[in-house]
Amino acid sequence: MSTQTLDPSTLPSLAEQRPQRPWRKRTPKFTASVVLAVVVPAIVAGFLWQTSSIPTPVLMVAIYLPLQLVASTLASLATRGRRGIADSVVIVSAIGATVFSLVILLSLLGSLIVRGWKALSPSFLLQNNVYISPSTPLEYGGIGHAVLGTALIVFLASLVAVPIGIATAIYITEVRGRAVPYVRFFVQSMSGVPSVVAGLFILTTLIVTGALTQSALAGGLAYAILMLPTVARTAEEVLRLVPDELRTGALALGSTRARTVFRVVLPAARTGIVTAIILGIARIIGETAPLLLAAGNSDQTILNPTGSPVASLPTYIFNNVALPYPDAVTRAWGAALALMIFVAILFTLARVLSRGRLGR
Amino acid sequence: MSTAEFESVDVLEAEMTTPAPSMVTELEARNVSVWFGPRKVLEGVNMSFPKHSVTALIGPSGCGKSTFIRTLNRLHELIPGAALAGEILYEGKDIYSRDVDPVHIRLAIGMVFQKPNPFPSMTIRGNVLSGLKLSGMKRSNHDDIVEETLTAAGLWTEVKDRLDRAGGELSGGQQQRLVIARALAVQPHVLLMDEPCSALDPASTLKIEETIRQLSKEVTIVIVTHNMQQAVRVADNTAFFLAAENEPGRVIEQGSTTEIFGNPKDERTLDYVNGRFG
Repeated sequence: MSTQTLDPSTLPSLAEQRPQRPWRKRTPKFTASVVLAVVVPAIVAGFLWQTSSIPTPVLMVAIYLPLQLVASTLASLATRGRRGIADSVVIVSAIGATVFSLVILLSLLGSLIVRGWKALSPSFLLQNNVYISPSTPLEYGGIGHAVLGTALIVFLASLVAVPIGIATAIYITEVRGRAVPYVRFFVQSMSGVPSVVAGLFILTTLIVTGALTQSALAGGLAYAILMLPTVARTAEEVLRLVPDELRTGALALGSTRARTVFRVVLPAARTGIVTAIILGIARIIGETAPLLLAAGNSDQTILNPTGSPVASLPTYIFNNVALPYPDAVTRAWGAALALMIFVAILFTLARVLSRGRLGR
Repeated sequence: MSTAEFESVDVLEAEMTTPAPSMVTELEARNVSVWFGPRKVLEGVNMSFPKHSVTALIGPSGCGKSTFIRTLNRLHELIPGAALAGEILYEGKDIYSRDVDPVHIRLAIGMVFQKPNPFPSMTIRGNVLSGLKLSGMKRSNHDDIVEETLTAAGLWTEVKDRLDRAGGELSGGQQQRLVIARALAVQPHVLLMDEPCSALDPASTLKIEETIRQLSKEVTIVIVTHNMQQAVRVADNTAFFLAAENEPGRVIEQGSTTEIFGNPKDERTLDYVNGRFG
């Protein structure tokens, strides 16, 4: 084997080299057809939107989308032949489906903000509902009692659901006992329990029997039923991600199973466990039915977990939104916006924490 | 840096000539056969490990070396479907007898794995001391233990100024030396090493081999390796494993390293140590 030496004079000069992206080079024909395929349907749809009386959603779905599909197909047929047709159909439908779901999500967010924004103010977040009637102006009264009530109920629910959920996950991934298939089956079934059933369960077993009255504790227990499967399944998944080498490594140092779990596996999965808890809270925080049944409602700020019904954001929204007073309805939207913001904060927190340096 | 490496080679060569280890048997395998589910992967292994000796297990992939080494400290049983026949005697007592706690066995017979596995939630120092916490072992003077074991593992000078950084921040070779230090901190009598250098560069490999020679004054070592020069450099005794197609692995030949590599009795051993198959 001998290596051939290239004549340096035939090589491009290094001094003239600039970073380039040759894979992005397009022929003018390609660029032209892409531009046409995007612009023509948009112009036609825009023209019809201005001049005809076709409702916008119908225009988008029945005219613009098929038009775009045909235009993209023709464009890819012209540039790449028949192989391009399937490609363009898939791309247009994928983009269409994405935009469709984004529009729904954003219009939901938008209507929350538009209708709820007026209600939001420091006093709205801090005051309670005592002496407030549905016709009271927006400057008075607020959701402070409901925020505290929701916080109290969620705290009590977490107190029950987090230890049991994590213990369940540990049983499934670490203990690996004989009942694992059954436990997983029940946890999965539990995640399908309708929330109203959880509320009814607490109502019939604890409240009707007289063990508890409608209270934060009863509401928290109903919430715990809904939170448990989310925590257990998410924690199970993050524990599965902990490499087995760490477990055998700990055992090879003369560790017991319990110490391996508590000192090596759980710390390694720490951020994932936090995510599991936050996802569990986000799952339940907006549920209304269990609280209507188990926690009741109140206008006062209640910090006692037992003994008296307590307000919460979902029940506050539920009670205000159907009232025939514009300010009450605005309050409901404001509370809904506040709830949405809390959930968004929780999810952001979960994302940030799960990006942590240690223990992915 | 480079002078230190040259020196270490000299040390290695000097120690190659040290007399054979004592003849007291510390660990002994008798007729060990191993199954995973219905599949027999190892058959009739008889082997004894003299106190403070280094034994290399060589052989092609899939011949049961790693499986065998994991039976020696009862890690084998953690794999679902695992089964075993025969006896493993540690200080004359079967480690699989009913009254033996596997936790005690694993404490006395430590292990270093192929892939470095420092605990990600712990610092370098925490990793070294983790064995004490995990096993509940009481030893005073933790600072001394950290320095001592990291020095023995050849890592001290590289990490002494950042003991509170995460163990996962170290390079692969450093992580491997870190887990060796971690294994040493619980003062095992036997150290099992499952291809400890397979993921390391030659310089780190040399450092670990040096560590092995040093350790063998106090600890009995069993090392699985695919690197035949490594077996020659570190091991007093060598065992050659081989599995014929669709058959369980067996020990084809064992004896002193000089004999296995210089004058093997079995033709297959001769072929293997000369790199003609496997």
